[in-house]
Amino acid sequence: MLEIATDFKARIIEGRPVPELKKQVLGMLFFEDSTRTRISFEQAAHYLGLKTTNFAPSSSSMNKGETLKDTILTLRYDRLNGLVMRHRRSGAAALAAKFFEGPVINAGDGSHEHPAQALGDALTILEKKGHLSGLKVAIVGDVEHSRVARSNAWLLSKAGAEVRFVGPRTLLPSSTANLPGVPYYDLASGLEGADVVMCLRLQKERMLEGDLCNPNEYAKQYQINRTTLKYAGPDVLVMHPGPINRGIELDDLVADGPLSAIAAQVENSIFVRMAAIYWAFQDSKAKEKSKKEKILV
Amino acid sequence: MGISGFEGERKVQKGKNFSMMTLLKNGRILDPSQNLDIVGSVLIEDDQIVEFGDDLEIDDAEIVYDCTGHWICPGLVDPHVHLREPGEEYKETILTGTQAAAAGGFTTICCMPNTKPPLDNAALVDFILDRAASPEAGGVFVAPVGALTQGMTGERLADLSGMKRAGIVAASDEGYPIQNSRIMTEAMESCVQLDLPIMAHCEDESLTRGGSMNEGAMSAMLGLQGIPRTAEEIAVMRNCILSLHTGCRVHIMRVSTWGAIEIIRHMKSLSAPITCEICPMHFTFTDESVGEFDTHFRVLPPLRTQLDIDLLMQALGDGTIDCIASDHSPHAPHEVDVPFDDAPFGVATLEAVVGVTLTKVTHPAILTPLQTIDKLSTAPAKILRLEAGTLRPGETAVAQVTVIDPDFKWIYDRKRTFSKSKNSPFHGMELKGKTMITFSGSEIYRDADYPDARYRSAQNRK
Repeated sequence: MLEIATDFKARIIEGRPVPELKKQVLGMLFFEDSTRTRISFEQAAHYLGLKTTNFAPSSSSMNKGETLKDTILTLRYDRLNGLVMRHRRSGAAALAAKFFEGPVINAGDGSHEHPAQALGDALTILEKKGHLSGLKVAIVGDVEHSRVARSNAWLLSKAGAEVRFVGPRTLLPSSTANLPGVPYYDLASGLEGADVVMCLRLQKERMLEGDLCNPNEYAKQYQINRTTLKYAGPDVLVMHPGPINRGIELDDLVADGPLSAIAAQVENSIFVRMAAIYWAFQDSKAKEKSKKEKILV
Repeated sequence: MGISGFEGERKVQKGKNFSMMTLLKNGRILDPSQNLDIVGSVLIEDDQIVEFGDDLEIDDAEIVYDCTGHWICPGLVDPHVHLREPGEEYKETILTGTQAAAAGGFTTICCMPNTKPPLDNAALVDFILDRAASPEAGGVFVAPVGALTQGMTGERLADLSGMKRAGIVAASDEGYPIQNSRIMTEAMESCVQLDLPIMAHCEDESLTRGGSMNEGAMSAMLGLQGIPRTAEEIAVMRNCILSLHTGCRVHIMRVSTWGAIEIIRHMKSLSAPITCEICPMHFTFTDESVGEFDTHFRVLPPLRTQLDIDLLMQALGDGTIDCIASDHSPHAPHEVDVPFDDAPFGVATLEAVVGVTLTKVTHPAILTPLQTIDKLSTAPAKILRLEAGTLRPGETAVAQVTVIDPDFKWIYDRKRTFSKSKNSPFHGMELKGKTMITFSGSEIYRDADYPDARYRSAQNRK
């Protein structure tokens, strides 16, 4: 998928044509607020010649008490060809995929996964570093509630990187045995020799009282700034999935400085989303074809 | 020799023209109430057990069940069932729930008070007893458990004495446990006075808020809020301490962690009047079973780890765990096919308990057959002082007998159950051991897999 994304990026920048998925309609189901993810998915669909249709839970039947399953079944019979979905519940995309019988792209489900974000981050690292394997990646902050952390950990570790989760005990999961990363409770040792520092947003809306007594306290111990970056490797890449709580996870100088790859992350997100949509549709076409062939036989 | 002391009476009764004899022939009689494990037959006259033993020779029985190779045991007793009526009849009714119980081998079940409205007054107790006694119901005895506090809100005590007179056998706030220790103390004092046991679901809600599954590696991977084991253990500890000092009989429901077991073991050694139960899902599945957000594995307390299962099994074996309960919690499909966090807790289990217990506990020799029947019948009857759990003539209102084929292999199919709800985690599981006949006064259930050749009635002979 990263190869497809790289190819699409070159084509768009050079003005060459990209494949078109005409006559296909992509449903955009955002049950949770989002700016960048939604816009980049729409932009990606636009480049691929897809039509998108928006679905806002506040103006839909969900408000009348319709279950997620029924909503998905309805959309299926409305002849949508694919779905991009974000939901505040972990596992919601898996549930949708069970009933939709077509491609469902997870644009974030609760604290579980956000694979499109991880793809964009991986592409950004690949561009800046040339490779993924062997890199030391420190994911810093609210790992427990972060779907970005989980998806990045799976993808980067699969590509051969060493993943570290860095944060206070209250914000790291109580057990990381099933996750491909090693916990560090101290910023200095977590950042030691790191090639990439990935900051996470403090997810105040998902936190229970008491997990984090005081954002200032967090900033004092875990903020990425010029001083704390000295623990990391010399050409360390600083990333953040946004939106940034400036002055808490990151200070302005680092966020806008030369080591920051945040702008590239945003730009690349469009290309990886194109790749994801393209890949999902190719896959479902192949499936349909094989289904038809089976019927013919 | 016949073991019963009722032979004389039988002779008198035999003179009547209307009496009907039923013989359960040549099975393995397992009766923990008499520490009895022999091969023999049980004779039922009309609706009463009159005699049993290894040398019964009865030629004139109208109905004969050939039980060769089967267990003949006291009707099973389930201390923990949700019948959902009144209020949530779309999930289960007293009718379907008691039918499911009969099919599971149970002749006595306790129904939980978390209905809508909650079972917190004598009128509702009357309603449930009436419904359960209706001829259309499954024919099993229903022993209601009343709410401890009004509306199960944990604030003011319910009309416990009124409900006791109406027939409750215990009091419980079920899944809404009393958090305030002073109110719990008052509840215990009241129950001591009324000689009622409290059935306690143990959960410190300040630790479980928003939680969905066991806190651990699996919840971290799935991005689900965890329910820590401390939430259960702190509440078990508190309830045990209050029981020790008030003298109130406390039955701890659905134990799931090894820590809770250690606390109960310790408090029992201090002579606190405590008993506890385990549910089949807690000794069968771990938090890994949740897999890809499968809501059929969302239970309370949550499924824990293999270490917990190993130590729970040990506690079953050494007697720290007193009995096995189904915690049958039916839910409709539209409530289950939702994101994991939105699904209700609890699963439908009544018709799987015997198969799962025999497969996981008895066949691996953790419990002997006699101990198994104790956990499923005699022990819960004793804890709740029910007229059940024994084959002794005259000690139950009517004959309550269950016949189990311990070696019958089958695959649990949720589509073939009497329960209205199909939310069972045991679907598709291979089991060894099945209820064949349930007898409560008369035959209330005979399994489709019970061979016709083993059944003989006077009409057949003609």
